[in-house]
Amino acid sequence: MDQPIWLTFIVAFILMNVLLVGMAYMTLFERKVLAAMQDRVGPNRSGRFGLLQPLADAVKLLGKEDLIPKHADKIIFYFAPLVIFVTAIVRVAVIPFGNQIEIGGQPVALFAADLNVGALFLLAFGSLGVYGIILGAYASANRYSLLGGLRAAAQVVSYEIILGLSLVGVFLLSGSLSVRQIMLQQSAELQVGPLTMPNWFILSQPLAFVLFMIAAVAETNRAPFDMPEAESELISGFHTEYSGFRFSFYFLGEYINMIIVSLFAATLFLGGVDGPGADRYWGLGVLWLVLKVTVFLFFYIWLRGTLPRFRYDQLMGIAWKVLLPLVLLNIIVTAFIRLIGNGQIF
Amino acid sequence: MSWEVVIFYLLALVSILSAGGIVVASNPVHAGVFLILSLFNTAGIFVMLGAEFLAAVQVIVYAGAVLVLVLFVLMLVDPDDLPEFHAGRPVQRVVAILLGVILLLEVGIAILNRTIVGARGNADAMTIEFLGGNVQAVGNVLYSNYLLAFEVVSLVLLVGVIGAIVLALPERLGERVRHRRDTISLAHARGVDMALPEGVRGESPIPVPGARREEPVAEATRELIMTRDPDSYTDAGEPGGSRFRPR
Repeated sequence: MDQPIWLTFIVAFILMNVLLVGMAYMTLFERKVLAAMQDRVGPNRSGRFGLLQPLADAVKLLGKEDLIPKHADKIIFYFAPLVIFVTAIVRVAVIPFGNQIEIGGQPVALFAADLNVGALFLLAFGSLGVYGIILGAYASANRYSLLGGLRAAAQVVSYEIILGLSLVGVFLLSGSLSVRQIMLQQSAELQVGPLTMPNWFILSQPLAFVLFMIAAVAETNRAPFDMPEAESELISGFHTEYSGFRFSFYFLGEYINMIIVSLFAATLFLGGVDGPGADRYWGLGVLWLVLKVTVFLFFYIWLRGTLPRFRYDQLMGIAWKVLLPLVLLNIIVTAFIRLIGNGQIF
Repeated sequence: MSWEVVIFYLLALVSILSAGGIVVASNPVHAGVFLILSLFNTAGIFVMLGAEFLAAVQVIVYAGAVLVLVLFVLMLVDPDDLPEFHAGRPVQRVVAILLGVILLLEVGIAILNRTIVGARGNADAMTIEFLGGNVQAVGNVLYSNYLLAFEVVSLVLLVGVIGAIVLALPERLGERVRHRRDTISLAHARGVDMALPEGVRGESPIPVPGARREEPVAEATRELIMTRDPDSYTDAGEPGGSRFRPR
C-alpha cells in the first residue's frame, strides 16, 4: 500500500466518527420505525422530526449520576462497558468502503486495513465482545445480572459457531479470508442461462445467508434473541446496575455491533459497494453500501417490532439441533460443488 | 528504536505481567481476566511476526470460546467454597516447581537449537508468497505433512464431546425429568410460579444443584382465595348483587 501511515490514521479516524454518528441516528431511526409500526409518532420534540433527539439523549446520559453497587467488583465494573465498546468499534477497520481512490494525486485507500484474515478478525472481536457482558454481569454482584451474563455466555458461544461456519461456504467459493478480496470478487458478472446477474454470494449461498442473519441477530443480543437482557424476566439482565455514561457505553456497543454486522453481511453477501455506477464513482459505491446496511438495520427493527422473545431452552435447542446441522450440510454441499467445479472428482 | 520494537516490548511486557497476575490473583475471575489479557497480547505478537491466521485463531478459540466457558464456571462458584489461597499440599508444590523448571529448559533448548542449527522447514517469506499467503501455507502443511496428527487431534476432540454427553446424560432415561430439575437451568421451567405460596418452604425457583426438592414445583400453584367479592370493588355488581358470592 503506497500511502503514508498518517493518511491511514485519518481514514480510520473518519470511519470511527462516521460510525459513532451513524449509531446515534440508528437510535432515532429505531424509535421512529418502531413508532410507525405501533401507530405512534415517535420522538418529534427536539429539532425538526426529532433530529436532535440523539444529542439530547447523549447529554442526558452523561449528566446522570454514576452509581456503583456497594458489593461490586470495582475494577471489573469500571472497564467492562469499555470492553464491549472497543471490541465493537475496532471491527470497522477491515470493512472496505470502496477501492483505492485518488485525492489530489495522492492515492487513498477507502479502508483502514486490508488484513489477509479480515473475516476472522471480525469474528474474533465479535467473540471478545461478550466479555463486556459477562464481566459486567459478574461485577454487578446482582443475581439478575449474573443470570443475564450466564445466558449471554451460553448464547454467544453457541451462535458464534453458527456465525463462523455459515461463512465457510463463502470462503470456499472465494478462496480468500480477506474481506476486500471477497468483496472485489462479487463485482464480477454471473451468467445463468440468458440472465446476467451480479456474482453476489447471496445468490450462490442463500442458505448460508439466512443462517448468518439468524446467528447475527443472536450474536448482537437483539430481539427475538435478547435473552441476556430480557426486561420482563431479568430486569435488563447484565446492565441492571449500570447507569449514566457506563450504561451508555453498553448502549453504544450494542448499536455499533448491529451496524458492523450489517456492514459485514452487506459486504460478504450483497457485494459491498457493488451496484450500478459504483465502478465509475466511488461516492455512489459508498451510497449503495449505506443503502444495503439501512435495509439490514430496518430488518433488525422489524424483527423487534414483530416477534416475541424466545424461550431460553428453545433458543439453545434451535442453535444446536436445527441450525448447526443445516450449516454443516451447507459446507459439505459447497465443498463438493467446488471440487466438481475444479474437476477434481467425477 | 523503530515503532515496531516499541510495540513488541509493550505487548511482551503486558503479556508477561498478566501471566504473573494469573498466578497471584486471589479471585479466580480476576485470574481468568488476566489469562484473557495474556492470550490477547500473545496474539498481538503473532500479528507482528506476520502470523495473522494464528493470531485470529488464538483469539477466536482461546480468548473467545474456551475462556468464556471457564469464566462461566468460575462465576457460579461461591468464593467461600474455594480452597485457601496457596494452600496446596507440599507434594503439589514440588511437582509444580519441577514441571516449571522442565518447561523453562525446554524453551531454552528450543531457542538454542534455533540459533545453532537455524530454521527448520522451508517456510521462508518467498515460499509463503508462492503458496498465496499465510493461511494457504498453514493449510498446505497441516493437511499434507501433519495429516495424521490432525486426524488424531480431531478424534481426541470427538472422544471429549462424547464423554461430555455421557456425563450429562441421566443414568436411566426415565430419570430425565428429575435430572432436569436438579441441573442449573438458566430459565425457569414451564408452569413455575415465581412467587411461592406460604405453605411451601421458601425455596428458590431456580433449582439448586445437589439440593433435593420435597415436592415438584409444578404442583405448588397458588389457590385463588378471595375474601371479598371481586365485583364489590367496582360498581358493576351493585344493583342486583353479584353472580359470585363467597360462601
